[in-house]
Amino acid sequence: MVRLTDLPEYEREHLLSKNQPPLGPPVWTRRGKAISELRIALITTAGLHFRDNPSFEFADSTFRPISADEDANNLVMSHSSVNFDKTGFTQDVNLVFPIDRFRELEAQQKIGSLASVHYSFMGAGLDPHAYEKSASQVAGLLKQDKVDAVFLTPV
Amino acid sequence: MCALSYFLEREGIMTTGISLVRENTESMQPPRALWVSFPLGRPLGKPGDAAFQHRVIDAALNLLNADHGPVLVDYLEDAPDVAIDASPACPVSFAKPADDTDTWEAMLLNELHTLTPWHDLGRRLRQGRTLVGVSEFSVTDNLQKLGQLLDNNTLPITELKWFKAAIEDAKVFYIEALTAQPGDYDHNQIEQIFWHETRMGAATRRFAELFLEHPELAAFARIIAPRNVSK
Repeated sequence: MVRLTDLPEYEREHLLSKNQPPLGPPVWTRRGKAISELRIALITTAGLHFRDNPSFEFADSTFRPISADEDANNLVMSHSSVNFDKTGFTQDVNLVFPIDRFRELEAQQKIGSLASVHYSFMGAGLDPHAYEKSASQVAGLLKQDKVDAVFLTPV
Repeated sequence: MCALSYFLEREGIMTTGISLVRENTESMQPPRALWVSFPLGRPLGKPGDAAFQHRVIDAALNLLNADHGPVLVDYLEDAPDVAIDASPACPVSFAKPADDTDTWEAMLLNELHTLTPWHDLGRRLRQGRTLVGVSEFSVTDNLQKLGQLLDNNTLPITELKWFKAAIEDAKVFYIEALTAQPGDYDHNQIEQIFWHETRMGAATRRFAELFLEHPELAAFARIIAPRNVSK
């Protein structure tokens, strides 16, 4: 188990330095249908992409598509931080990008459906506002895909 | 994660997800977040445990039932610790030979030669899956070049993107080799072996030291090695 109080002081200070005020007035989208009817996309900030996609830069607000048709086991990670564990992800892609778990939820009809395309960002080294433009682009793509909700995973 | 949550929700798409650093989430107030006590790098808690991962996902999806937000809920189940003596033994001995006068290039290539059968085994057991391949060059080519750079006491200041990818590919190659045998691993133990027992760990620390001495690229040391393993 890891809590900030368990971490070395330099790492605790580094993480606390990322505290930011809210990005603006509170936002809230109401759920218009049951969870079992929602179309859901996965978005991770773990810097995942397929080998034939460009790696993420050291500080990078762009995103990479992860097509549902491609095998997620072929994803690689070009995150610029070295301050997190990678051994778990080498063992199981679902630890960071839980695509198989969501396919199981879809098969069990606990969610409505999964998006055609999921997305990956690289969350490090930038002010949160730097992601506004690319997040808006992804929102447009998600709406085209009739996505209702997004499940987000950091790393 | 918080920023994407905010911007997507503002565009009318509901969001829920995992928070690994509660303090960051508390300050930024995304619409919905489930804080978990898991180590950084493990947002779903435990590799290879579908039931555990499903419990985490269910808790995060349940936040979509809230009528108003922001919602920040603590997930109460910790990821189970792995007892070090329960982990499979390290398959390779990294003990230094009595006469350790080889060049960095020779030491790194010898180490790679020793680890390659274990990496091959691990890859077969993972049905071909590997994270190696961020760099466009092979691990062998990269280690040879990294060794030559250290032998010449040189930093690749015009090839930083290649350098970062080469270091990352080497590290995941080592992790995949060291964890080739099926079983639960304590990630701190693997990190300890990589950084303090392998030549590649020593080489990366040496690069970090050289970057720290560079007047304009000191920050790059933190991009290749955690603060606790380099001076």
